[in-house]
Amino acid sequence: MGDLGALFLRAMFAENMPLTYFLGLCTFLALSRRTDTAFGLGVAVIVVMGVTVPLNQLIYSAVLAPGAWDWAGMPDVDLSYLSLLTFIGVVAASVQLLEMVLERFLPGVQAAFGAFLPLLAIHCAILGGSLFMVERRYDLSEAAVYGLGSGAGFALAVVMLGAIRTRLAHADLPAGLRGLGIAFLLAGMMSLGFSSFAQMAAQ
Amino acid sequence: MADLNPLSLWRRFLATPNDSRVKTLVVAFLVSAVCAIAVTGATVWLRPIQAQNRAVEQQAKLEALISAVPGMSELIEDAGGEALTTVVIDLDDGAASPSVTPETLEAALADPSNWTTLAAGDDIAGIGNRPNYAQIYLLRNGDKVSLAILPVAGTGYGGRIQALLALRGDMRTLAGIAITEQSETPGLGARISEPLWQRSFAGKQLSDDTGAQRFAVARGPGRTEYEVDGITGATRTSNAITQMIRFWTGPNGYGPLMAAIRRGDF
Amino acid sequence: MSGAGNLWAILTTPIIRQNPVTLQILGICSALAVTTSLDTALTLAISLTLVVVVSAGIVSVIRRHIPNAIRLIVQIIIVASLVIVVDQVLQAYFFELSQRLSVFVSLIATNCIVLGRTESFARSNPPVPAMVDALGSGLGYGLVLVLVGACRELFGTGRLLGWQVLPLADQGGWFTPLSLMLLAPSAFFLLGGLVWMVRSIWSEQAEAPDFPPHATGEDR
Repeated sequence: MGDLGALFLRAMFAENMPLTYFLGLCTFLALSRRTDTAFGLGVAVIVVMGVTVPLNQLIYSAVLAPGAWDWAGMPDVDLSYLSLLTFIGVVAASVQLLEMVLERFLPGVQAAFGAFLPLLAIHCAILGGSLFMVERRYDLSEAAVYGLGSGAGFALAVVMLGAIRTRLAHADLPAGLRGLGIAFLLAGMMSLGFSSFAQMAAQ
Repeated sequence: MADLNPLSLWRRFLATPNDSRVKTLVVAFLVSAVCAIAVTGATVWLRPIQAQNRAVEQQAKLEALISAVPGMSELIEDAGGEALTTVVIDLDDGAASPSVTPETLEAALADPSNWTTLAAGDDIAGIGNRPNYAQIYLLRNGDKVSLAILPVAGTGYGGRIQALLALRGDMRTLAGIAITEQSETPGLGARISEPLWQRSFAGKQLSDDTGAQRFAVARGPGRTEYEVDGITGATRTSNAITQMIRFWTGPNGYGPLMAAIRRGDF
Repeated sequence: MSGAGNLWAILTTPIIRQNPVTLQILGICSALAVTTSLDTALTLAISLTLVVVVSAGIVSVIRRHIPNAIRLIVQIIIVASLVIVVDQVLQAYFFELSQRLSVFVSLIATNCIVLGRTESFARSNPPVPAMVDALGSGLGYGLVLVLVGACRELFGTGRLLGWQVLPLADQGGWFTPLSLMLLAPSAFFLLGGLVWMVRSIWSEQAEAPDFPPHATGEDR
C-alpha cells in the first residue's frame, strides 16, 4: 500500500528520531565513534523498534485505550494513564527475550550485536516511537511500518555520523572540540540536511 | 501481644537476605502496589481539573474567534442576542450524534475506532486520519442557522495546524478563521495567526454555482472572490491552509453537515 | 571534612566539573527539543530535578532491601510512576505548558540522568547525600537547558519568558530575529559551542586525541 510506503519514508527521513526529534541522542553520540559500533547499534534499534511498536499498539488498543474493555461490559474504563509504565515494561521484557532468543538460536549474531541490547531497554527513541504511535493513533500495520522506519532512520543517522567521526579522528581539532563538541556540531549539520526532507514530505 | 506480631513479622522480613525468593517476590509486589496506588490516586484526583482546563481552553479559543470574526456582534444582535449553541456531530451522517456529547467527546476520541483513516487520494490536508465526531458551534436566527463554527486541522510546513472556521448560513461564504495551533516559521508561515490576514477571509466564497471548490490562498494578492491574499515567502503554509479548508468543506470533512444545513435539516 | 562541606561538594560537583550533559553525555535527548523557549526549558528542568531528587530519596531509603535480580526494574518503576504523577499535575495546573511539552515529560522516565543517579549513587548512600547529589545533577542539567533555551528564545524571537527584550525590526525596533534559532539544528550548534567553551576553560574535561598529530617540524 502506498500510504505505508510513504509512512516508512517519512519515519525514516522527514521525522528522523535523533535528528528531528532529538530522541536517542545519548547512544547516538556515545556509540558513533566508529562505524562498526554504530552499525551494531543501528541494527539492534531496528529490530527492537520493529518488535515493540506494533506490540505496544496491540496492548494499547486491547487493554489500555478508553473503551478497550467494552467487550467485558466496562466501556468507561480508561487505563491510558498506565501506558508509560506498560510500554517501558514491554520494551524491557522484549529486550530480555530477544537476548535469550539470540543466545539460544543465533549465537553468532549475539556475539556481534548482543552488547547493545541492554542499552535499549530504556532508550528514549524506542519509547518515543511507542508514545508517538499512541499520539497519532496508528493501527497495527501502520505501527509496524512506523517502528521499522524509525529504527531504520536512527540506524542511517548513527552510521553516517560514525563514518564522519572515524575520519575526524585523524583531524587536528581544538582540544575543547574533540569528541563530544564536534559530534554535536556534526549532528547539527546533519539535522539541517535532514530538515530538507521534512520540506519534501510537506508536499 | 497482638500488636507486636505484625511489627516483628515485618522486622523479620526485612532481615531476610535480599536475594531470597520470598523477599524478591514481596518487594516486587510491594513496590508495584505502592506505585500503582500513587499513580492511580493522582490521576483520579486530578482528572476533573484537567477536564475543566480543556473546557476553559476551548472556551477561550472560541471567544477569540468570536471577537475576530468581523461583524460578529451585529450577527449576534440579528439573531436576537442569543448565544452560540454547541453540539457534537457525526461527520459521516452530517447530523447531531445521538451518543456523544461535548462532555464525553474527549473520551470518545481517545478510542482509535472513532477515527477514520484516510486514503492517500482523499487526504489532501495531510492529516492521516480524521475523527468521526466533532464539536461545532451554531448561531441561529429563528429556525435557520446563520453562522457555523467548525474545528478544522491540517499539516503545515512545521507541523500540525488547528483552526476554527466560521461559515455563514449559506455554507458557501466564509465569515472568518481563527488559528488555534500552529508551528510555522515565525515571520513567514506563522503570520497565519495575524488578525489582519485572518480578517481577509470574511466574505470569500468557498465554491462556485456548480458546487466546485474554488477557495484558495493565492500566490500574491487574491484576485477573485474565491481567493485570499497569500503570505510572501510562505508558499507551503499558504498551500496547507488551502488544502485544509478544501478538505474539511469537502465530502470527507463537513460536507454532509453543510449539505444538511443548506437543506434546512438542522 | 565537615558533613556540610561534604554535602556542598556533592551538590556543586555536577554543576560544572561533572555536568551530566556536557561531560557525561547523559540526558541530552529532551535537553534539545524543549529549548525553543525559556519557559518550557525551565519547566522540564524543574520537573526532572523534582523526579530525580524524589526517586533518589526513595531508592536510598529502601536501598538495603532491593533484591539484585530486580534492581533495575524496581528503580524504573519508581521513576516512571513519579513521572506519571508529575505529568498529571502539569496537565492539571499548567495545561498550556504541558501541551507544548507533550511526550517529553513522559520521556523523563528514560532520562539517563535519573537512572544514572539512582543506580550509581542513591543505591549505596544514605538519603540526604543521595538527594543532594540528585539535586546537583538536576541543577547541572537545568543550567545547560536554561542557557540553551535563553539563547534560542532571545535570538530567535527577541523575547525572554514572553517579555519582548529586543525590539523587533518590523515593529519599529532594530532586531531582526534569527529564525535558525527556532529550528532543530541550532540546539546542536549551541550545545557544541557550550561544550567547547566549558572544555576550553576547564581543560581537564577535554578528551585525548585518538591519533596524536605527527610532529611536522613546525613549532606548535
